[in-house]
Parts: sequence; structure tokens; C-alpha cells
Amino acid sequence: MTLLSIEDLSVVIRRPGRRVAALSGVNLSVEPGEVVGLVGESGGGKSMVARSIVGLLPGGSRTSGRVMFDGADVLTMDAAELEAFRGHGAAICFQNPRGALSPTRTVGRQLVDRLVTHRSLAPAPAREVAAELFESVGIRSPRRRLDAYPHELSGGMAQRVMISLATGCAPGLLIADEPTTGLDVTLTREILNRFRLAANAERRGVLLISHDLASIAEVCDRVVVLYAGTVVESGPGPQVLHEPAHPYTRALLRSVPDIDGRPVTATPGAMPLLTEAPSSCPFAPRCAHATQLCTADLPVAGPLAMDWSAACFHPRSGPLDDSAEPPVPAEIPPAGTVPSAGTATSPGVKESVLRIEDAHVVYRSRFGGGGHHALRGVSLSVAAGERLGVVGESGCGKSTLARVMLGLVQPSRGRVEVAGQALAELRGARLRRLRTRAQLVFQDPIGSLSPRRTVQDAIGEPLRAAGVPAAERASRVARALERMELDPSILGRRPHELSGGQAQRVGIARALVGEPDLIVFDEPTSALDVTVQAQILKVIAEVSGDSSRGSVFISHDLATVRGFCDRVVVLYLGRIVEEGPVEEVFGNPGHPYTRALLSSAPSLGAGYGGPQVELTKDLEEADAAGGCALAPRCPFATDECGEQEQELRPYGASLVACRRAAEIPALIER
Amino acid sequence: MAEASGVREAGADRRFASSLITVGSVILAVVAVAVLFAPLLSSWGPEEIDPLASLAPPGGAHPLGTDLNGMDVWSRVLHAARLDVGIAVAAVALAVVAGSLVGLVAGYRGGWADDVLMRVLDVFQAFPTFILALAVAALLGGGTANLVAVIALVNAPAYARLVRAEVRSIRELPFVEASLTSGSSFWGVLWRHVLPNSLTPVRVIAPLNCGWAMLTLAGLSFLGLGVPLPTAEWGAMISLGSGDVVAGRWWTSVPPGLFLLICVLGFSLLGEGLQERADSTRR
Amino acid sequence: MRILRFVLRRLLQLVPVLLGVVVLTFLLVRVLPGDPIRTILGPNATEADAAAARARFGLDRPLWQQFLDYVGGLFTGDFGTSIQSGAPVGSEMALRVGPTMELVVIALAVALVLAVVLGIWSARHAGRFGDHTVRVAALIGNSVPEFWLGLVLVLVGYSVLGWFPAPSGRVDPDTELSLITGADLLDAALTANGPAFVSALEHLALPVATLVIVIVAPLLRSVRASALEVLASEAYTAAAAHGLKGRLLLRGYLVRATLVRLPALAALVFGFSIGSTVLVEYVFSWQGFGQWALRGLLYRDYPVVQASVLVIALFYVVVFLIADVVHAILDPRVRI
Repeated sequence: MTLLSIEDLSVVIRRPGRRVAALSGVNLSVEPGEVVGLVGESGGGKSMVARSIVGLLPGGSRTSGRVMFDGADVLTMDAAELEAFRGHGAAICFQNPRGALSPTRTVGRQLVDRLVTHRSLAPAPAREVAAELFESVGIRSPRRRLDAYPHELSGGMAQRVMISLATGCAPGLLIADEPTTGLDVTLTREILNRFRLAANAERRGVLLISHDLASIAEVCDRVVVLYAGTVVESGPGPQVLHEPAHPYTRALLRSVPDIDGRPVTATPGAMPLLTEAPSSCPFAPRCAHATQLCTADLPVAGPLAMDWSAACFHPRSGPLDDSAEPPVPAEIPPAGTVPSAGTATSPGVKESVLRIEDAHVVYRSRFGGGGHHALRGVSLSVAAGERLGVVGESGCGKSTLARVMLGLVQPSRGRVEVAGQALAELRGARLRRLRTRAQLVFQDPIGSLSPRRTVQDAIGEPLRAAGVPAAERASRVARALERMELDPSILGRRPHELSGGQAQRVGIARALVGEPDLIVFDEPTSALDVTVQAQILKVIAEVSGDSSRGSVFISHDLATVRGFCDRVVVLYLGRIVEEGPVEEVFGNPGHPYTRALLSSAPSLGAGYGGPQVELTKDLEEADAAGGCALAPRCPFATDECGEQEQELRPYGASLVACRRAAEIPALIER
Repeated sequence: MAEASGVREAGADRRFASSLITVGSVILAVVAVAVLFAPLLSSWGPEEIDPLASLAPPGGAHPLGTDLNGMDVWSRVLHAARLDVGIAVAAVALAVVAGSLVGLVAGYRGGWADDVLMRVLDVFQAFPTFILALAVAALLGGGTANLVAVIALVNAPAYARLVRAEVRSIRELPFVEASLTSGSSFWGVLWRHVLPNSLTPVRVIAPLNCGWAMLTLAGLSFLGLGVPLPTAEWGAMISLGSGDVVAGRWWTSVPPGLFLLICVLGFSLLGEGLQERADSTRR
Repeated sequence: MRILRFVLRRLLQLVPVLLGVVVLTFLLVRVLPGDPIRTILGPNATEADAAAARARFGLDRPLWQQFLDYVGGLFTGDFGTSIQSGAPVGSEMALRVGPTMELVVIALAVALVLAVVLGIWSARHAGRFGDHTVRVAALIGNSVPEFWLGLVLVLVGYSVLGWFPAPSGRVDPDTELSLITGADLLDAALTANGPAFVSALEHLALPVATLVIVIVAPLLRSVRASALEVLASEAYTAAAAHGLKGRLLLRGYLVRATLVRLPALAALVFGFSIGSTVLVEYVFSWQGFGQWALRGLLYRDYPVVQASVLVIALFYVVVFLIADVVHAILDPRVRI
């Protein structure tokens, strides 16, 4: 019997002056023991589906259709039935586990609360059960953790607690809303496997919600793709992932940079916010295959095969990376194809625009005592026309490195030169002028624009600071705007009136307008939706192709860096562990850490071809003593690794900070 | 039980906020008319003595009766609005400007200037504001200028703190870094980016503060620390009539208090409405 | 143990602030115009009389010597001698602090309970008529001049209805209440004096009501705002979505999380009510600390001014310290 069956569900949210058709005619079902993935970009209606299942729709929403759970319609339940159903029938794991745990109650009590409510246990035995549950989700020393408050937990730990809370209600259906956002790759895998386990071992239905098809596809039996509140495609995971039928699914998948280095294709436009249920295909305006039929009529989901359907008049077939497929709207030039970019040129031959020597940064903690060592001796240089990628997990010092490059953070030791001049040697107006030679593009596009200033002001600011007269300023702003493919009507707007993609284009225009020697992109796409991300990547690829300028691209995502960098630096806890040409680092990594990063990166295509390497511990659990910082987590570490600091030494065409780099291939064999 | 989800309709808040703002503004507009046209609205002067009537009950020539000295209560209540509103608004304006400037520079600069300021504010904060106003007013003596200074002085630290805190959080936002990397100077960033964004909470607090300043002023006058007597002032009038209340003669002190209440309420409604609107936009 | 250490550290940090207060008041009362000696001597006194009086109170000695004497006295609990009454300031003050504290503490307690109950109720009915009524009523309360409100309550409660005693004093003298702490209700309870207890309650009713009406608004709005925030928070939504119900949801997930921010504000309001009591005591002839300190100020009674300012500052900072400790107990995220 079907556990959950959503039939023709529509949700319209009415607010004063605003009306949003959040869901239109959604059909979806989950069987016991089945993992169903629900994917799509933000605004597509994923969370709204989750909320309708537990009857938690926002104020002012009207629903039609049915949400059948075990034969009862959730939408028509009264308050008492709903209370009984929530948790026990379907339980949600929330997106931000730390926010979803009550800050003033120990996590143990929060779990006991659920057990007492849903399993009718007395508090004392409930505590025993809670400890067992904690253990079963992989929390070490569970009894001690029961008395912890949420703020004392790491992100991964909090997510585990959240899963135990949801499963503690003994629900038939487990809903996970973006359960792995903000977790690093290793943890992501583990958490996703927990859900697979819940379906296999406990026969629960699982609805897994994510914006990232690639990362969840492996654990899903079926995948449902949402676009603008409608289901555009639904089918078995492997099919949807590798030979999607709906043009949107294909666009979505093509927008994701992949570790195997296949080109990213950007789809123009953005998802519409519908005010009425659509009467034609909502994707038609962005679709390369759209015909008159698509803009006139609404396609219904048509079956393509067993369990596989797509709401499209012209469904595609064949594998995704069929390069013969006709109109490809825009392709990001892969590294090395831009003629001016000197891929093979070693730094030093060309004039270097940025040179950092042995930079150390220590953030003093406010109340004395130690402090946080963010960078521990980083040296690198960027030549004009070169594109350097910097990768690493969160907390590795990436953002600090960006700030050092811009002179926003003074290194406590070491030297930073921009355009041949040392930042530390200048003061006042000359320092300000030198600073304009390097520009930063921020992670948070809207936050990096002053809320009370217009787009015109924002883009023109570097010029104003440099004393460029108003008339010339306007024309240069217009030129930068044009290069970003933005409409001039945007000039009078303020940041909150921009979409994320527009704001980031404005940010890039601001960085570009003063013709700097160096542009640093600090995670420029991580706050954006997937298809928008691809568009911005295309813009960045174009901008960083200028031969007079060096670019630094900082990201936690290896695949993005692979897309268009010439050289890559891998950071781990404030140190460079590997540095080399992009093909070399991705194709023949030397450092165990790089190997582990590549092994765990999700991939739609061939993925990382080399042997798999897994680190033995989470970053949070490993206490680095002296010696190699990775030693506590490294599967190849010996006692000597824990004693000796590792220096960069040649390994193939790269530099690798590992004494055993050469032995590792042999070690893996065994 | 309320919507179990805790999710509410944002519209209700905004509607309530606008009705608060409307009612508050209407009250303040009426007060403004009273302030401007007080002489036209009363047949007696505020300090004019009717020798035939002392403590006369309302009615006849005196719509709200007369006080102990035979002065017309209606006329005095109207004229007092000028003084009370004037002093309060002037004092708050002074406090806003002085406090914000100090908070802005200290918050953005940091360092020793900030440390010194914080220590001074600590000492200020060791006293409840009304007590502080009381002490300073008692030591300085009454009079209009002194009252403005006293009320501004006790209110300014709050603005300094508010703006300082705001500046410190704005200073860490990406757009300030963005502006610095664009080559803008320290003062340029302060003036063009930090200042306009840091005054948002001040705009909300200032009207509330005007109401509170009027209450402080009236309180000081009630204790005899305000303006000297024949001058029409609400607090002093209430004080003069306080003895009559026990005897059941309500008209000498109830009307000035009621006017004061309405006037302060106007400011409070306006401030609350603005705050509510700011909150509902943020949500 | 951590809390004890925190309290000790904070008390140490108070030393410079209180020292600043001591120096500042000592200097300010002497620098600003006004002469305490003139106020006790009357208009006919000669220069010689004045000089003699000055010598009697040690005011003829150099400033630094006076200051050292004063500070030295403080360490032994000696606040000096009142110029007006000639009595030791310490014992005079002791009589005055009790009644005022009784008034403020009872009013604050009532206001806190009222604010928490109404605030949470209001938040759970946000946007509805009841919520709006509560909020507007609180706003009006916050806009009322307390001294006038006191008078109106006297007019209605005593002059018109006759339900409450006349606004003169804190307890009926016929009940022969013996004085222990100065807080009459407490004294009556300690001496098991039933009639005095009832009388003290009757006398407290109107001034407490006045204070409560005036101070409940800021507390209420803060509780309501925090409760709204908690209700809209993911944590609360998650608890509700997991089917926790009724009292468990209210007590475990709403109330404590809501109260987290209240202590700091309550301390601020405590200070505000100390200010208000000066006015309220005046209206109800309470013979409390406020009236005493005010008279000291007006007559430039140096020792009285210095002592009362110091005591107010001390009370205020200690209340803030208590608030921080309560906050730390309520909110596990606070590290102390």
C-alpha cells in the first residue's frame, strides 16, 4: 500500500500585495522502504511540498488536491488529528539542524520529549532509548551527548541529532529538507547513507529534498524534479540522472560543474515566480526546444517508461553528455582555450600581479589566550593572464587568504605584493590607490552592496574613489554593465531589488570597472542557484580571460575550480598541501588530502578516476598536534608524520607537502 | 491555540503598524495646532489672574475652572504645550545629534577613543536616567536652557550606545569591505555607507524618546526642579493642584495630566508603529 | 562554581565604576552652585556663624583631605553626618531604603508576571483583536505620567470611592508595627502583626498599581517580541512539526526560550522604577528613600547626596549583575 500519495496538490499563498502560486498540480508518491529524491532550484516549491505533508503551510495559503497518508487526507485533518499525525506519521529533518534544535533545552531532553509523546514511554526508559538512538546515528559517547546543548554540537553532530529526533518519533515517512547543506563531502555521504539505511532496515519511506541532484541521486530509488511549482520529471534515479528527458532537468544537470572536467552549459533566464497556476509550460521561455505548442498549452506528465514520466511536449532522449545535441546556448570555455591565457607559462616568466611570501595570519581571540592561526606560511604568486584556483574545506583559511591578497587583513608575518609593490610599505592615499589594483568579488552578492546605494553608485565607486570625473564615470559604468549583459534600467535600483544573479553581476562589474590587475573571486557562486551559478561562471570565465589581468578563484567545490583554472592550490588548515597545473592535480594528485577530496566529490559523470582514499576522522574530531596537520586523519600516516612538518616538494609537475607522496600509489595497491 | 506552526500573516502586522502611525500622527497634528493657535483658542492669558475666581469649578467664563491663583486652567493647559513639546523635541534632537556622532566615530574607529567613551558611558549607566536628570537638574537649577541640556545629556548616551553597536556590526558587513577595496577613504566609507545604514534604529527610537523626554520634564517640574511658577507647564500645574485632589477638586490637576498623556501617547503610538513596521519588514 | 567566579570577577570590575561615581559626585556637589551651610543657618547668620558651622562639618579643610576622610569613612561603613539633621547618614538611610525597596520589588514582580503571561498570550494571538488591545493598553500605560496617575488613583480610590486609605504614610500607626527592616509588609509578617499586615497591604495597593501600570509596557513588548520570534523560529516549528503538544510545547520550547532576553531589560526597568518611585513616593507621602535623597539634593546636604548617589549606583549595578547571572542560568549559550 502506498504510504504517501500526493494527488493534484496546488498551493496558492496570498499576502497583501503579493500572490504566489507555490505549487500547481503536484503528484508524488512514496512507498514504505523507498527513498524518493525531490530536487529543483530554490523557489521551485520543494519546501512547500514538505510543509504540506505535515500540514505546516504558511499563513494565507489556500490548498486544493489531496495529501493522502495511510489512507487519510492530511489537508482535511482537524487540529487533534494533525497533532497525532505530525511526528508519528511523518517527521521532518530540518535544513538547518542547529537552528531547528531548541537552544535552551538539552538535546537529550528534546529527544526524550519525542519518545514520550510518540512511543508513550516513561521519561527514565525514554532516556535509555535516546542513548541507543544516538548511538545508532553514529554519535560517540551518546550518554554524555544527551546532556549537551545544541550550540555545543558541530554541524555534523547536530544533523545526526536531528535525524535521531525525527526517527525517534517512529514515523512512517521521514522527510529530509536539504539535510546536507553546509556539511563537507565526507559527512554528506555518511548522512545520506543514514537515510538509505532507515528505508532499508526500518522500512520507512524517505523523502529527500535537495537542490543538488548529483549528490543525492546515488541513494534515491526515484527522483522527482520540480520547476516553478510543477513536477517536470519523475523517474528512477539513474535514468533521470544520466539521460533526463525534460529539458529543464538536462539544463539543471548541465549547469553543475563536474569533477571530471566536462564543460558547463549555462541556460539563460531565471525561474519565474508564478502568481497563477501556469497555463503553458513554465520552462518554455528558457527552453531551446520550445515550440508554439509549448507557449500555448500546459504539458501533462506523460509516461516514457515504467515509472518514468516527464511533463514535456518534446521530451529528449539519450545520455546527457551527448555533445551532438543541437542548440547549446552558451558554453564556458574550458581552461587553456582562451588564447591569451598562458596555461603552461610558469610564474616568473610573465610579470606577476600578486606575490605572497610566507604569510601568517593569527586572529587574536578577544580575551587573550592563544588565538586562531588562520594562515601558517602561505607563499604563492599569480601572473598576468593566469587563473589560479584555491580549494579547501571550510575553515582552511581560504577567505583569510582572499583578505590578505586585498590588504584587508595584515599578515602578522610575511610579505604581500600587488602589482610589484608591497602593501605594508604604503600609507594613506597611495595605499588606497594600490588597493584598487586588486578587487574582490564576494560570496554574498547582495550583502556586498550597500543597502542604501543604487547600482550606479556601487559600480562607480572605485572610479569615484580614484577621482574619475562624473561623465567618464557614467560611460565606463555603462561599458562594464554591457559586458555583464545587464540592462541599463538596473542602474537606479537598490540591492534588495536585485536577484542574486543580478547582484553578483553588479559585483563583478564593480570589480572590473577600474581595470584592476587582479580580481579575487571568493566563492562567487556558492550562494546562487544552480542554473544561475552556471551563468555567473560563464561571466567569470569570460572576465578572467583578459590577458592583462590575473584571477584567483576561491572555492570549496573542486569541480568549479577545475572548470577554468590554470593552476590549483589546495589549502588545509592554513597551509598549502598541494600546488600544480589543474590537469595534473586533478588527474594525478599527490597529497593524500587531495586524493581524499577528489574521492569524495560527487559526480554525475566519470568522476575521479584514481583510487579512492578516505580520511579516517572528521575535521572536528581530529586534534592536530605537531607535525603534518593531516596526520591525525590520514590513512597513510606513520609516527614520523606526526613529528615532522611537511614542506612542499616536487611531485610530477606539482608541488606536494607530503613525505610519502611517492609511496602512496603503492600503499593504495595493498 | 494560535496557529500551531507559529507562522503568521505578515499583513496584519503591517496594517496594525500603519493604524498606530496614523493615530499617532493625528494626535501630534492636533497638538501642533494647539501649540500654534493657543492664544486664539483661549480667552484668558496663561498667566492672567481672574481676581474674582480662585479654584472655581469648570463652567462659565472658565471652561476648565481656575487654579488656586485664579488662573484659567484651559488657557494654561494649552499654552503649556508649547513649552513642554518644545523643550522635549529640542532636547531629543540635541541628544540624537551629539550621541550619534560620538557613537559613530567611536564605533568605527575603535581603539582608545572607543575605550574612553565606553568607560564614560559605564559611569552614566550606573544611574537610572530619571535619577540622573533629577540630580543634574537639582544641581544646575531650573530654566528652559538648563532643562534642554539636562534632558539631552541623560538621553545622549543611549544614542551613542545604539549607534556604536550598529556601526560595529555594519563595519563587519561585506559592503564595507567592498567599499574599502574600491579605494574609498576611511571618512568616505563612514559618510557614504556606514552613517546612512546605522541611523535606522535611531529613527525609530527618537519619537518614543520625545514622549519620554516630556515625561521627564514634567516629572522634574512636578518636583519643583523645572521652570519657575507662573509659567504654564503641565508638571508644575499638576504639582500645584495635587493638594486639591484629596479634597476632591479634580480640575486643577487632572486636565494637564490628561493633555500630557495624550501628547506622549501620540509620540508613543508613532514610535511603536514605526518599530512594528521596521520589524515586519525585517521578518 | 563558574557562576561564583563570574560574580566575583564582575564585582571586581565594579570597583572602578563605583570609584568613578564616588569621585564624580564628591566633586560635582562641591563645584556646582549652592551652599549647604546657608540653608541651615537662616537669613540672619553672620560670616562668623557660617565659618563656625563650616568648621563643625569639616568643610573648611582642603578638598583632598575631605575626600580622604570621606573615602576612609566609607570603608568603615560611615557615610558621614547629615548637615540638615545632624544625624548619621547611614542610620537615616537605613530607615529609608526598606520602604522604597518594598515598593519597587513588589511592583517589578507583579509587572514581570503580568508581562510574561500577557506577552506570551498576546504573541500566540498575534494580529488579533485581543493582541492589539493588550498592546495599546500597555502603550497607554507607558505614556502616563506616574505622578499624575497616582493622583488620579487617589482621587478615585480614596476621595470618590473611599476604598483605600489616604495617601499619607505606609501603615496605620494604630497597628503599632515595630520597626525591623523598614519594609512594613515584611516587618508585619516577621512580627506576626495581622492588622499591620493588612494595613500595609492597603497602603501599598495604589502606589504599586501606579508603578506597575507605568513599567509593564516595555516588559510586555519585549516578552511579546521574543515569544513571536520563538514561535516563528525553526526550533519551535520543528518541535511542533514533530507533534509535541500543549503544555510540553509551551513550557519546554516556548517559555524558557522567550524569557532568555528578559533579565537585562528587567534590570533596566528596575532602574526606571527607582526613578519613578521618587515621584510616586512624593504623591503618596511614602517617606522613602527618594524623598530623602531629593531633599538632600535640594539643600545640598553633601553627605546625604554622596551617600544616596552611591547607594543608587550600587543597587543598580548589582541588579544588572543579578540579571546577567539569571540570563546565564536561563540561556545555556551564554558563557560566563
